[in-house]
Amino acid sequence: MELVSQIGGSVTEGLAYIGSLASLGGRAALDLFIGPFHGKPVRLRRAVSQAMDVGVRALPILSLITFFIGLILALQSAYELRRFGAVNYVAATVAISMTRELGPLITAIVVIGRSGSSFAAEIGTMRVTEEIDALETMAISPVDFLVAPKLVAMIVMLPCLTIWANAMGILGGSVFGVWQAGFTFVRYLQVSVDALILRDITTGLIKSLMFGATITAVGCLEGLSTGVGAEQVGRSTTAAVVKSIFLVIMEDLVFTALFFFVGAQ
Amino acid sequence: MRISIRRVDNATIFDISGDIDLANSPEVRKALLHEVRDNRRPRVVLNLSDVRYIDSSGVASLVESLKASRDIGSRFILVGLSGPAREVLQLSRLVKVFEIYDTEVEALTG
Amino acid sequence: MERDDPGLVSSEPMISVRDLHVKYGATEILHGVSFDVKRGETLVIMGGSGSGKSTLVRTLIGLEKPSSGHVLIKGKDVAAIREAELEEVRKKIGMSFQGGALFGSMTVGENVALPLREHTKLEDSTIEIMVRLKLEQVGLEGFEYYMPSQLSGGMRKRAAVARALAMDPELLFFDEPSAGLDPIIAAGIDQLILELKRAFHMTILVVTHELASAFLIADRIVLIDRGKIVAIGTTTEMQSSIQPRVRQFLDRVPESETAQESDYLRALTEERRFGRA
Repeated sequence: MELVSQIGGSVTEGLAYIGSLASLGGRAALDLFIGPFHGKPVRLRRAVSQAMDVGVRALPILSLITFFIGLILALQSAYELRRFGAVNYVAATVAISMTRELGPLITAIVVIGRSGSSFAAEIGTMRVTEEIDALETMAISPVDFLVAPKLVAMIVMLPCLTIWANAMGILGGSVFGVWQAGFTFVRYLQVSVDALILRDITTGLIKSLMFGATITAVGCLEGLSTGVGAEQVGRSTTAAVVKSIFLVIMEDLVFTALFFFVGAQ
Repeated sequence: MRISIRRVDNATIFDISGDIDLANSPEVRKALLHEVRDNRRPRVVLNLSDVRYIDSSGVASLVESLKASRDIGSRFILVGLSGPAREVLQLSRLVKVFEIYDTEVEALTG
Repeated sequence: MERDDPGLVSSEPMISVRDLHVKYGATEILHGVSFDVKRGETLVIMGGSGSGKSTLVRTLIGLEKPSSGHVLIKGKDVAAIREAELEEVRKKIGMSFQGGALFGSMTVGENVALPLREHTKLEDSTIEIMVRLKLEQVGLEGFEYYMPSQLSGGMRKRAAVARALAMDPELLFFDEPSAGLDPIIAAGIDQLILELKRAFHMTILVVTHELASAFLIADRIVLIDRGKIVAIGTTTEMQSSIQPRVRQFLDRVPESETAQESDYLRALTEERRFGRA
């Protein structure tokens, strides 16, 4: 009985959490799209500097990781394809796996590690040092001022990063293709591009858009709900990372299932 | 707040009445800068005897106008500072920065 | 925007607190607090740590919601009005937080300019002059391009005061202005508050546990202890008070050991395990 009530409790808690995420994301989105019509310009400068942080500065590490993921993917799939004498399918396999699944997912995870955590840490520190209170007493909405620019930056940059990650993954795969499967580099790219249909890319991008919104909402919510004391900032940061990864994977599952069944018709 | 403008010989006189605050100081600023920069009047006199309250955005606007008039070598003069207005300028240590006269006659002949 | 003549004594109080109760979770921090702040006066809320004085000031500015009772600022109940109205009230209040609460990612100048950029349609050139005027008023002329992290504790507080003054507020709140400062720097902040009081005829509310500072800057003092008001009065009234709790606080007598032995034994042996809810 206790177990049932505990599970019930956790489910309710989880739903409540998703509710507050949606409410925070919704308010930020409202500020973005309705605000400008009420004489509140979107804080473009802040959004741009966030975009630099979230996007441009993530490029080196993201490139490196997705390049190797592409290479690993090629090795793994070739291991199986080799038995059917179909090693030349490696290009298509890598291209499709990257764009539909691994590109968006790996990008999201790298961005969670870099930016989701830093959103929580930044806002959490501001909570501890009373800067959030100061914003409120100056009649400046923290959601409007802090969350909205991050949301813009994230939903613009994450799809861009995903496209880049896809490209780097394919590049990584090409190393194996050229080295072991008898492709020339140009031929490998050609086969990869031919294997893809627009739908593969758009489904990945739709996912990454959702991931971006989720990462921002979780990071900011954890930051805003930071308790009193410096050690709470650390707790918020950890929570932001763990919860973001979990929610991103759940969303990935839902969307992938959705695309699968819609695509089947 | 109301602004009325009189032009005599080489001078322009602004009569301002009411409070100068965040809501209307941009209007004062625009009118003053227009007279100083665009019309290049050699002497701009600001009559503040009917101004009860002037906030820091108002003071900042006066400072900007003074700077603009210095830049073109004209004069920017304050007249009839009421108690509170004078106090505000004193606090910001601006009483010595501005050219201030008690009456309009002094301002136009001085 | 109509302004009341500062010389005119208005009968309506600037702030009016009526039977205020505030809870954090299940614990009640303030148990029915009532007092008024008159226009143009400097009121000091004094009390030891844990007395509820910080909660009180946070509730006044709408950061905490009362569980019952009212806070009226210029006649508006801050807990009951809509968000938009609360924002209008807050624009008339400047608040200096304990640690300054300056935004670390912005320069001192940008910090002071922020409320003006957010709430007014003033030109950047006007705002720039205003920022320099404010910094000059708090004795920080020439520091607008510094980052908050480059300033000392006392300077950071001064910068925070400059930011609180940005919108020419009618009400100025200070939360522990001298906390964490050495005595000389703290005395400087007291002087600053006195200057502002003299200069701008602002209504000032200060929360502090520093006796000397409280008696220096206050017109009236509210002594608060364990969530209740112990005494309200002018500085002279306070000094001549014979109320035991007031004397205890003013003469810095440590808490007496009034706990009964039986209570003590019960507290020690209470059936509750640590770390379990």
